[in-house]
Amino acid sequence: METEKGKTFKYMREKREVSQAAKDNLKKFNRIKKTVMEALQENELSIDQLTKILDMPKDEVVFYVMSLVKYGFVQTGTIDEMDEYFSYKLNK
Amino acid sequence: MSSEKINTSFDALVIGGGIAGGESALNLANNGFRVLIIEKDLSIGGKMILLSKVFPSLDCSACITTPKVSEISRHPGITIFTNSKVKSIIKKSKNDFEAEIIKYPRYVITEDCTGCQLCEEACPVIIPDQYQYNLVGRKAAYIPFSIASPRVAAIDIENCTLCGACEKVCPTNCIDFTQETEEYLIKAKTVVVATGFNLFDPIKIPRFGFGSYKNVLTSMQMERQLAPTRPFNTILRPGDAKVPDNLAYVLCTGSRDVTIGNPICSQICCMYSIKQAQLLMGALPMADVTIYYINIRSFGKGFEEFYSQAKGMGVDFIKGKIGKITEKENGNLILRYEDINENKVKESEHDMVILSVGVLPNPDNATLFHGEELKLDPFSFVNQTEPLASPSRTSIEGVFAAGTATGPMDIPDSILSAGSASSEAISYLIKKP
Ligand code: SF4
Ligand code: SF4
Repeated sequence: METEKGKTFKYMREKREVSQAAKDNLKKFNRIKKTVMEALQENELSIDQLTKILDMPKDEVVFYVMSLVKYGFVQTGTIDEMDEYFSYKLNK
Repeated sequence: MSSEKINTSFDALVIGGGIAGGESALNLANNGFRVLIIEKDLSIGGKMILLSKVFPSLDCSACITTPKVSEISRHPGITIFTNSKVKSIIKKSKNDFEAEIIKYPRYVITEDCTGCQLCEEACPVIIPDQYQYNLVGRKAAYIPFSIASPRVAAIDIENCTLCGACEKVCPTNCIDFTQETEEYLIKAKTVVVATGFNLFDPIKIPRFGFGSYKNVLTSMQMERQLAPTRPFNTILRPGDAKVPDNLAYVLCTGSRDVTIGNPICSQICCMYSIKQAQLLMGALPMADVTIYYINIRSFGKGFEEFYSQAKGMGVDFIKGKIGKITEKENGNLILRYEDINENKVKESEHDMVILSVGVLPNPDNATLFHGEELKLDPFSFVNQTEPLASPSRTSIEGVFAAGTATGPMDIPDSILSAGSASSEAISYLIKKP
C-alpha cells in the first residue's frame, strides 16, 4: 500500500486490527471524562463525591481524575478543613 | 519485521543504558573507542533518572543524571539504540563478538521529532503510565517523561486505536506507522554487561496486600511521588487521594528472605527509605513516619550520620518484623508485627504503607551469550571471576560487568564499578593479540 506522510496510520489499519481491549479502554475513559467534566461544571467536587457519581472503585476515580489533572482538563481545588482531601474543579 | 539484517561494527558493545552502562560508554568513547549502547527502554538513564534525590547527600537525582545523559547522547563516539534488545551474542574469537540486536519501532522518526507534545495532547487514549509506576495515566502517543533522553515521542501500538489524531497535528510529520522491527548484526571487540537490576514485585508476598490494598505502595511509587516531576500535586494515597499523615515503611521487602528465594541484603533499601522518610518530613511536616526494620545497615560513608539525622527529625524506628497487613474500611492499614526488642506481637495503624522493595538480578543475563557461557553467581547476578584483583572480569574473556549486574550496590559504587569495567575493557582493546 502507498503511504502518504501524515496519514501512515491508514497503512497500519490495513496491517493490524485494533484490539478489543484498546477500544473498550478508550470508551471507558471517554465516558469517565464526560461524566467528570459535566459534574464539575457547577461545583468543585471531592474524590468521594465523584466516586458516587461515577459509581466505580475509588482508586480508579483517583487514577482518572489525576490523569485529567495531568492533561490540563481538571485542576486541584481547595483542601477540606481537616487538611486531608482536596476537591477538584474544571481548568477553565 | 524487515527481512534483511543490518550489519555494522563497533569497538565496544554496552548492554544497558542506565547509569553504569552510560558511564562505561562515556569512558570508552572519551578514550577514542566507538561504542554502541543497547537500551531496552525508550530512554537512557535507567532507574536513577526517575529518582527524587540521592542519599546521603540529598542531591537532586535528575540534576545529576540529566547532564550525564545529555553528554552520553551527544558524544560523537556513542551510538544509542533505545527500545532494543540483545537476542544473542556469540564470541567468534578474541576481539570478535557478534551480536544479534532487535530494534523495535517507535513509530516516530527520532531525528525529526521536536518533543512538542502536540501528539500527546491530541491522543484520546489514557492508560497507566509505567514511568510513574501506574499512579497516573499517560497517552498512547507520549514522551516517556520530561527529562527522557532522547526526548522524543513514541507510539504505544498495543493501546493505540489508530485514530490518526496524533499524525494530523504533528508539525514535522515525523509519526510513521510504517516503521518495522529491525534486526542488526553487530560486530564488537569487547562487551560490557550493564544490565542493572529488577525490583522485587511485592505481589509475591500476598500477606502484605500489595495490589489489593491501594494504600500499600512500593518504594519506587513513593520515589515518584517525591520527585519534582511527580504524578500528583502533593503526596496522596492512591486509594482515595487523602493526604497521608501517618506513614509506615516495611524494610527488607523481598530481601533477606529465603521464602521468596532472595536470601541476600539489597544494600540500598535501608538508606533510600531513610532518605524518603526525611523528604516526607519536609513535604508533610505534620506527618508521622515509622520505619519497621530488622537491622539498619548504614555501612557507607556518611550513612550512620544520615540515619541519626532522620532520628533527630522525628522518624520513628521500630525493630519489628511484619507478619501481616490488613486493611480497614477507611483505607487505613493495620500492621501486625513482632516487636523484636520486646519479644511481643503488636499491632499498629497507619494510613499509608510503603514496601521497601529489594534488588533482584536481571534474568536476561542468563540468555545473553550463546556458545561460551556467561557464568552467574549463586544469586543469579553476573559472576565476578576475580572480585578482588579484577572486579569487572566475567567468565568470558573480553566481557566485563558494570554496576548492579554483578549484585546490589548504590549509585556511587555503580559508577565506580563502571569505571573499573570500562578501564578493563580499554586494556583489553589495546592489548596486542
Ligand atoms: S493514532 Fe494512536 S497514538 Fe495516535 S492519537 Fe490515535 S490513539 Fe493516539
Ligand atoms: S511526534 Fe510530532 S507532535 Fe509528537 S512530539 Fe514529536 S514533533 Fe511533536
